[in-house]
Order: sequence, then C-alpha cells, then structure tokens
Amino acid sequence: MSAFRQRSSVSYLLALPAALWMIAGLIVPTLFIVWVSFWATRRFSLESPLGLMHYIKFYNTPVYQKLVIDTVLQTGLLMGITLVLGYCMAYFIVGKVRGEGRKILLILLLIIPFWTSALIRTIAWIPFLGVNGVINQSLIFLGLIDEPIGVFLYSRTGITMAQVSFYTLMATGPVVYVMRNIPPSLQQAAQCLKASPTRVFWRITVPLTIPGVLIGQMLVFLNVMADFATASAIGGNKFTYLGNLVLNLYESGQLSFASVIAVVLMLTMFAGVALLLRVVDIRRLGAL
Amino acid sequence: MTTPVESHRYDLELKGITKRFDDFVAVKNLSLSVERGQFVCLLGPSGCGKTTTLRVIAGLEEPEQGEVWIGGVRVDDMPPWERDFAMMFQDFALFPHMTVRKQIGFGLEMMKRPKAEIQRRVDETLATFEISEMGDRKPDTLSGGEKQRVALARALITQPGILLLDEPIGSLDFSLRESVMLELKDVQRRLGITFIWVTHDQNEAFSLGDTVVVMNHAQIEQSGPPETIAERPRTRFVADFIQGNNVFEGTVAAIEGGHARIQTASGIFAVPVDPSQAPAPGAAVTFSIRADILTSQPTDGHVNRLTATCRAVEYLGAIRRYDLVLEDGRSVKLEQFRSTGTRINEGEKVTLGWRVEDGVLHTPPAGAPA
Repeated sequence: MSAFRQRSSVSYLLALPAALWMIAGLIVPTLFIVWVSFWATRRFSLESPLGLMHYIKFYNTPVYQKLVIDTVLQTGLLMGITLVLGYCMAYFIVGKVRGEGRKILLILLLIIPFWTSALIRTIAWIPFLGVNGVINQSLIFLGLIDEPIGVFLYSRTGITMAQVSFYTLMATGPVVYVMRNIPPSLQQAAQCLKASPTRVFWRITVPLTIPGVLIGQMLVFLNVMADFATASAIGGNKFTYLGNLVLNLYESGQLSFASVIAVVLMLTMFAGVALLLRVVDIRRLGAL
Repeated sequence: MTTPVESHRYDLELKGITKRFDDFVAVKNLSLSVERGQFVCLLGPSGCGKTTTLRVIAGLEEPEQGEVWIGGVRVDDMPPWERDFAMMFQDFALFPHMTVRKQIGFGLEMMKRPKAEIQRRVDETLATFEISEMGDRKPDTLSGGEKQRVALARALITQPGILLLDEPIGSLDFSLRESVMLELKDVQRRLGITFIWVTHDQNEAFSLGDTVVVMNHAQIEQSGPPETIAERPRTRFVADFIQGNNVFEGTVAAIEGGHARIQTASGIFAVPVDPSQAPAPGAAVTFSIRADILTSQPTDGHVNRLTATCRAVEYLGAIRRYDLVLEDGRSVKLEQFRSTGTRINEGEKVTLGWRVEDGVLHTPPAGAPA
C-alpha cells in the first residue's frame, strides 16, 4: 500500500508550497489586473470607483479590435507554419535518423540556440534581415535579385521569419516524444495489412501523434499571442500586436486601459486553449 | 533453377536465406519448403533467428541473400504490402485509435474493396470469431484473450495464403493458452491456410505443428514431424533443447555391424549407426536416450546398463520423473508411468537399462571434425 492514500491530508500539505507560490505569484496579480481594468478613472488610485469606462472605450474603438484580429491571425499563421515544419522535423528525427546518438545530437543542435537569452536571439536576426543583411547579400550573390530589397527588416515577413525560428521547436518536441512512443509493430502491422507507406502515415502515424501536435500547437499559440519582443525589435514598432499595446499603454501610464487589453488577451488565450482541448482529449497522451 | 509451376507445390519456399545485423548473423543460408495447409512451428531459443526468418518472409527484413517464394510467386523484391500473407504480432499490434470493427476492416479497406463488401465481411468475421458485441470498442478496453481474437480476425479477413504468427499466445495468461491454442489449430484446419508459428515453447510446437523446425544459431538443426524431433533428435542441440533426453558424450571404440560401441565416462554402450555415415573409431560423438524409454527393470534385451542412485522424484500426473545420479556424479532422468513399475524411493540404488535400438547417435555439428 502506498503511504499516501488519496484523501490523506498529508498529500495536500505536499502541494502547499507550490500552491502558495501560484496564488501569490499568479492568481493574485491576475485578479489585480482584472480589478484595475474596472477602475473608472484615468489616475492610479486604489480608491477608484469601479465601472466599465475602459471596456466601453475598447468596444467603441475599431483600431483596437483590429489589433486583436491581427494578433490572432499572426498566431494562426505561426501555428500553421510550425505545424508543418515541426511535424516534418519530428518525423525525420524519429523515423529517418538511424541511431539513438545521432537523434540526440540533432535534438541538441536544435536546442543550442535557446541557450542564449531571447533578447540576443531576437537581435541576432537584425543583421540577417537588414537592407545590407545576410539574406539580401546572399540573394544578390546568387543573382536572384539585383539590388537589396527591404521586405525583410521592419516587416511582417521579418517578424514571421524570426518567430518561426523561435517557435518551431515548441511544435516539434511534443511530436517527437509522442512519435517515439508508437510501437514500431503498429506501422508494421499496417504494412502487413496491405497499407503502403503513405497510407500508414495518414492512417496510423498521424492519428496517433495528434496529442503531441496539439500540445505543441498550444505552446506556440500561447507564446505567439503573448510575444511582443519580436515585433518591437524586428518590426521596429511599425507593427504592433496585443502584447505591444499593453506595453505601450503601461509605459504611458494608462494602467486601467492596459489592464483591459491584458484581460482581452487572456480571454482570447483561454478561448484558444479551450478550443484546442475540445479537438482532442489530451488525457490520452500517455495512454498510447 | 525452379520454374514457377514446380515451386507452387509449396505454399512457402525459402532458398538460401542469409540475414545479418551488422556483425551478427541472424539467419544463415536457411532453406525451407512448406506445403499448402501445413502447420509449421519454428522452435528455438531466443536469438536463434526464428523471428528474423518470419520477418524475412513478411518483407519486414530484407535478406542479403536468398529467395522467398509465397504461393509460387517470388516476393523477395516486393514490399510487405504487396505480398500475399497476413501476420499476427506478439503484442497483437492493435491500432489504439480504431474500434474493433474499423480495425478488422482495415486490411480490406487498404485493398480498396467496396464499402458494402467490407461491411458484410466484417460482420461475418465478427460473428465467426464471436466478437460481434465488441465491434464498437477500442483495444484498450479489451482483455488479453479478446485482443488475441481481434488480432486473428484482422489478419484472416483478407483471406491470406499464409499466416505468420510471432509467439501469438506468448503474452496471454497461462490459463488461457491451452484453449486459445486449440482454437487456433481448429481455425487453421477449417480454413486450410498455411500457418508459420514462431515459438520458444516446445509444448506449443509439439501440440500444434505438423512440422516442427528446430533452429539454433541462425540455422535449422532439424525439421520434421513432432514425433521424429522428440524421438530421433538429429543433433546434440536438439537432444538438449527438447526435454526428456539423456545426453552422453564419448568416443567411438569400435564399429560392429549396425552399431557403434561408445566409450563414455559411465561405461561402454552400444548405439545404432547408419553404416554409410558411421564415424571413425576414436571420433568424439554424442548420443541420447529418452527418459521414458529407459527402464529400471531391465531384461535380457536391455544390454546397455547403468547403476544410479535416486536423488529426487517429481510427480507429473500420470508420470513420475526421477532424477538419478550416476557413479561419476552425472545426472540421468527417468520417466515412468505410475501404473507400470514400482516406485523408486529417494536414496535407492537401481540398475537402468536400454536396448541398442533405443539410443540415438547425433550428427556432429557442421564444421566440427568428424
């Protein structure tokens, strides 16, 4: 018998430190943001009257709503690209690379860039994307273009390229994990039942890796929705998403309206996660 | 050179198959012919190459050398999905995301049969295997025995020429195995499909196989009906591997007529030899006598004699098995029906005997000095 029975109060005690930390560090600040978003003044005062003033402002300003749509669209684009790239990478590493050592080496090579800080990784893209950057010079060298083009830096293309490089790994990792746990006998059994490799892929491999895809997509969704640093550094403040707006409002002292945007961002993220979870039962992840 | 017509005498034919994994030779120059409707058991210890042989037939492993013929068609250039066979895996390999019904229809779906036909045949198959009520369930809700039936139904619905089975009852509870074995044998007889069954369990092989193929170190040691394997082990390995043999080592002292006189640590014994293949005097040889052929009440015909002391008695239902110690310290097994003969007690000294024709001289392993 286990020393900790399910309803033993000892097991609750074990969860206490983490619970306190979560309450103090996450739940209380979140509730505080929600509270501030209902302040019906422009000033910072704990005695502000409560009201819907800032929500009404959000509701009446189409620019802000368009920003929500822009953020969601950019996130959707990233999810689509990282889904395909990440799945191909996972399939290659698990299915095509021979030898455990080589697999680990490849995964390490993918992870190494993430040993530096996010800021450095982002800034490192600038010399690549600039008018005289590596990409333009390479294209000129290859004779594909005659003179530098400016579509990379300070553009959505540039932001997207950088974000793809940051977030593809998030989409890859969970798929690698789930795919490795599929017993090879399943694919072999399908082959013995007259399924060609293409059909084995679509009928066996893909359905069985959906939980991994889903978790990866959730990570990408949450991170891209909240990403403001990439847009600031590479978009040159020309392109803003919800995260940038929150930062701008905060810096200009509009705390209540910043909180409203933060709440909108959070609600959108909740809705997205709920939608993803409806697609596939995540609890089946370990049950393969 | 074999023409297709000739080769179709056999449902399955392997010719000179060799398969290596890096430096390890898993199957070495193996040839095997199986006639239609036969139940063949590949028997051997783990690592002997029996599963690799099965996977070569399936096309899941590619042999370096040799030919594979299924139903008169040479298939060694074909991928698994183009070969005419079905396979049952040791872990059943049921698809966790498909219902039993979907699962069983998978093969027909891959063969692009019309929907209506798939539906009808799945219904029939579910009924045949008495699993109709679990059609909508997923594998993780099935018991071991149920999974086994689903796996068999899924394999047989495509009406394959041969069925390959890789330790198909190895993962079942012991209590289930016997009934499942009988059921599988019954299915095989009714459908007349060739079964190639891989196992390390000799009881399985002997109770099921029309032909038992004993493998060791990547090669076939002996192939034949269960009785022959049990009573006339061709090599020392087979004699050791199959329970109930007493193996003796010795050197040939003389060849006299139809038998050899062999000097062992326990005395000189007469063992029959094939005059055309008789070993030279002085050659090191091994021979065996079955524990159930030895007798503790020798008569005049039992010219080979041993003195031994009983060390332990095992009770095996209708049979008693005695563990006896020879004067040189080696152990000998004796099996007697409880209804015949008197019980030997522990510590009792007995004289064991056997007739000349009861001994089986082994063929030396290939490459060993004659």
